Amino acid sequence: MSRLLEIENLRVEIPALTGAAPILEGVDIGLDRGEKLGIVGESGCGKSMTALAIMGLLPGAARATGAIRLDGRDLLATSEREMQGIRGRRIAMVFQEPMTALNPVKTIGAQIAESLILHLRLPKAQAAERARALLDRVGLPGPRFSLDLYPHQLSGGQRQRVVIAIALACGPDVLIADEPTTALDVTIQAQILDLLEDLVAEMGMALVLITHDLGVVEETCERMMVMYAGRVVESGRTADVFAHMAHPYTRGLFAASPRSALLTSAREPSGRKRRLAAIPGQVPDPRARPPGCAFAPRCPRAQDDCRAAPPPLAPLGAPGRADHAAACLHPHPPSGMAGDVAASAEGAR
Amino acid sequence: MSGVVRKTGGRRLPAASPSLVVGLVITAIFVAMALVSLVWTPYEPTALNILNKLEAPSLAHPLGTDFFGRDVLSQIMAGAQVSIVVAVVAVLVGAGIGVPLGALAAARGGLVDDVVMRSTDLAFAFPALLTAVIITALAGPGAVNAIVAIGIFNIPVFARLTRGAALGLWKRDFVLAARCAGKSDLAITIEHVLPNCTAVLVVQATIQFALAIVAEAGLSYVGLGVQPPQPSWGKMLFDAQTYIYTAPWLAIFPGLAITIAVLGLNLLGDGLRDALDPKVRRAR
Amino acid sequence: MSRYLLGRTIALVLTALAASLVVFVAMAVLPGDPAAIILGTGARPDTLAALRAEMGLDQPVAWRYLEWIGGFLVGDLGTSYTYSVPVADLVAQRAAVSLPLAVLALVLSTLIAIPVGVYAASRRGRAGDVATMGVAQVGVAVPNFWLGLMLVILFALTLGWLPASGFPGWEAGLLAGLEALILPALALALPQAAILARVTRSSVIETLGEDFIRTARAKGLSGEAALWRHAVPNALIPVVTIMGLQFSFLLAGTIIIENVFTLPGLGRLVFQAIAQRDLITVQSLVTLLAISVIVVNFLVDLAYAALDPRLSRGGAR
Ligand SMILES: Nc1ncnc2c1ncn2[C@@H]1O[C@H](COP(=O)(O)OP(=O)(O)OP(=O)(O)O)[C@@H](O)[C@H]1O
Ligand code: SF4
Ligand SMILES: [Mg+2]
Repeated sequence: MSRLLEIENLRVEIPALTGAAPILEGVDIGLDRGEKLGIVGESGCGKSMTALAIMGLLPGAARATGAIRLDGRDLLATSEREMQGIRGRRIAMVFQEPMTALNPVKTIGAQIAESLILHLRLPKAQAAERARALLDRVGLPGPRFSLDLYPHQLSGGQRQRVVIAIALACGPDVLIADEPTTALDVTIQAQILDLLEDLVAEMGMALVLITHDLGVVEETCERMMVMYAGRVVESGRTADVFAHMAHPYTRGLFAASPRSALLTSAREPSGRKRRLAAIPGQVPDPRARPPGCAFAPRCPRAQDDCRAAPPPLAPLGAPGRADHAAACLHPHPPSGMAGDVAASAEGAR
Repeated sequence: MSGVVRKTGGRRLPAASPSLVVGLVITAIFVAMALVSLVWTPYEPTALNILNKLEAPSLAHPLGTDFFGRDVLSQIMAGAQVSIVVAVVAVLVGAGIGVPLGALAAARGGLVDDVVMRSTDLAFAFPALLTAVIITALAGPGAVNAIVAIGIFNIPVFARLTRGAALGLWKRDFVLAARCAGKSDLAITIEHVLPNCTAVLVVQATIQFALAIVAEAGLSYVGLGVQPPQPSWGKMLFDAQTYIYTAPWLAIFPGLAITIAVLGLNLLGDGLRDALDPKVRRAR
Repeated sequence: MSRYLLGRTIALVLTALAASLVVFVAMAVLPGDPAAIILGTGARPDTLAALRAEMGLDQPVAWRYLEWIGGFLVGDLGTSYTYSVPVADLVAQRAAVSLPLAVLALVLSTLIAIPVGVYAASRRGRAGDVATMGVAQVGVAVPNFWLGLMLVILFALTLGWLPASGFPGWEAGLLAGLEALILPALALALPQAAILARVTRSSVIETLGEDFIRTARAKGLSGEAALWRHAVPNALIPVVTIMGLQFSFLLAGTIIIENVFTLPGLGRLVFQAIAQRDLITVQSLVTLLAISVIVVNFLVDLAYAALDPRLSRGGAR
């Protein structure tokens, strides 16, 4: 049986803006029913573009090639009309910015009911009933949170709950959550993530969770992918990747994450809060990517051969970790993790 | 699109947009027509020639002749003078009073600001053209009264615009620095605030210029603008109305002249705005 | 909300009073004694004095203002010098032409502008957009009184579909009245529609870039449905403001357009009153027009609040 969602060699380009340089290149993703996949990477590496490509909602000028198959059917070859029947019904999405993701002049009830009416052809009254139940389920119980509220009457976290209710309305098979908590307070972040996890488990959906936060991936997702400059640079079972971060970029991300700070010492000897080790440099612009490995200019392990051609995503070949792959010519050898990374984080400062 | 991608190395002149070019060309032709008419027109614009009255357009009279046999093309050329003079002076009057008022309101704030702003609110309650008609009708028709009547309604427009732009500038660092250096409000306004408002003011001026041309034509059309024999587009339209059955071209050409002149100025304004305000350009 | 309303209402009344004061003062400083104008140059001083007393012109200025504005509150706009009938009656008679004309023009301009603006926005940068906005650019430049003449030439003289001028009165039937108003209304409406269409277009384009449009598409709505159901309602909020401003233009426009089509409306009344130095009529009429502009802007503010739940509904948190 084919996988639920299978992406093969996805390439996205916006010729007018970036010339020949693609925004995404050679992206492969496989997702089974009920599986949770995390996608991490710095800002601008193409995570949202990947999500939008799956939804068929890339910006007007963008062109996607390769294959995106849902239950074996290639979405890139599917007509816009049919895509409309898939969006919101079989694949749904939660966005990064709850403050602007809802229409300010429509009640939240109407916005939730809309897809119920559209896809399930429910009569208005019944759609409202379902909307009520959904709101209750995402933690906005009536009568305090009436269907007649407008988005501006809710906080950011509450709005994100509404966005989640909209996404879940028709019981999709795949939920793509694009940095669903980035815009929220830390305490709210955890609540929203818990809610998402519960709902995914309850409804048996597959989840694609896009985030900056490696810690979230480790907690939530069975499998993960690290993206850099439009390519997948490391992928595998989350446990395997965390056990052995092979790609220097993955390590850099980890060193820059709050969790690595916890693993070492939360405070510097002076008592000041410890600053995170940022990866020096920044994600190259799609128009100005180096010819070889795109990470080379920032990579502590880079050598001359790295600058020749982009390294392909290749299995690392560790026994029992068939899925674990990295796109690096000189991957870190397997060894103890935490101390290792902390050391390199110290070194980076 | 090209303006978006191009790297900004210092302040470069933005590429001229089609509206800017077309607007400039039309406006230039319009001004040139008025200038040429000062020294030459195909016929004397006011010369009567009853034998040739109400002639349809022909080689001799490309736009025909009116009831008195006057050449329509010559009249339109000479009519441009009135349009330009009345509109320019009216806009200058409006800007001359409105800009200082707006700058004052922004510099002083508080009560002064309130008074200026409420006065502009009040002025906007009077439909401009209607009030201009009443002012000229009561004060007597003629170019000067027309200018005053049109100019009055340019004052609040410029006052508001200047105040809005100046308020933002007063919060900027270089103005704060000048204040700390002990410069007076007046000096700061003249040296820092107004020069930075010129772009918006110039754009608005072209728009008000276009509106003033229409207003002048409207006043002349109801007989309250410049008085005969000085030709004016609005007056030509009024005269044409009587012969609309027999000589419709008399009504067509002066209106076309107004439309094209206004179109040119509007395009110029749009083009200038795009060129001077990069924010707007990006939003397009 | 009620505090907002109260504040706005007070501002409305104050602005209206200020407007009336401006008009009154402007008319008072005008040279010429209305009584002398009525009686003509050869009038005897005692007749003149008698008439002045009768007209209340011998009273102090402040008292005259209070009397006049007090009358306004009870619907007494004074008595016309020339016709010797209440100005209110004259105005009511003429408003029966001008008001329907202005409203018809506003409705036409809205009905034309919004679909055109939305269409152009949805075809942004493509031929349909460039073509409609090109036409709109020209439309903005066309003076309405000239457009009126051109419409007369086309629809009345050449095609003979509609009357060229005049107004049969509403007694002649609704249809006959509307027939007489349709060309003048179009002449007023088309240039305004051009402005409104441009505003609508840019507002819709801005809204189409908002995140909630993406949310709507992600639900499975077609581009068309997202446009009409989500973008347009939001985009129209600022458009309403422009429509309010246009009312003032339309009022001013009617007075010239009424000349083109010889319609017996307020515009003609203004001209006649001025020609006959019927100053009280001019004074009351101008004040009334200013007040109606102020009231319309007030209503627009309310409509704005009603359309935008962020203004009408407070936060529930
Ligand atoms: N509408 C667009 N037109 C052209 N290029 C775009 C557009 N949107 C994004 N890009 C480019 O595509 C690349 C990938 O962007 P994407 O939004 O997928 O990043 P991301 O990984 O989601 O980042 P973030 O964490 O900030 O959301 C970036 O280099 C960006 O500049
Ligand atoms: S290929 Fe070379 S440059 Fe790229 S990540 Fe690996 S070591 Fe670094
Ligand atoms: Mg993103």
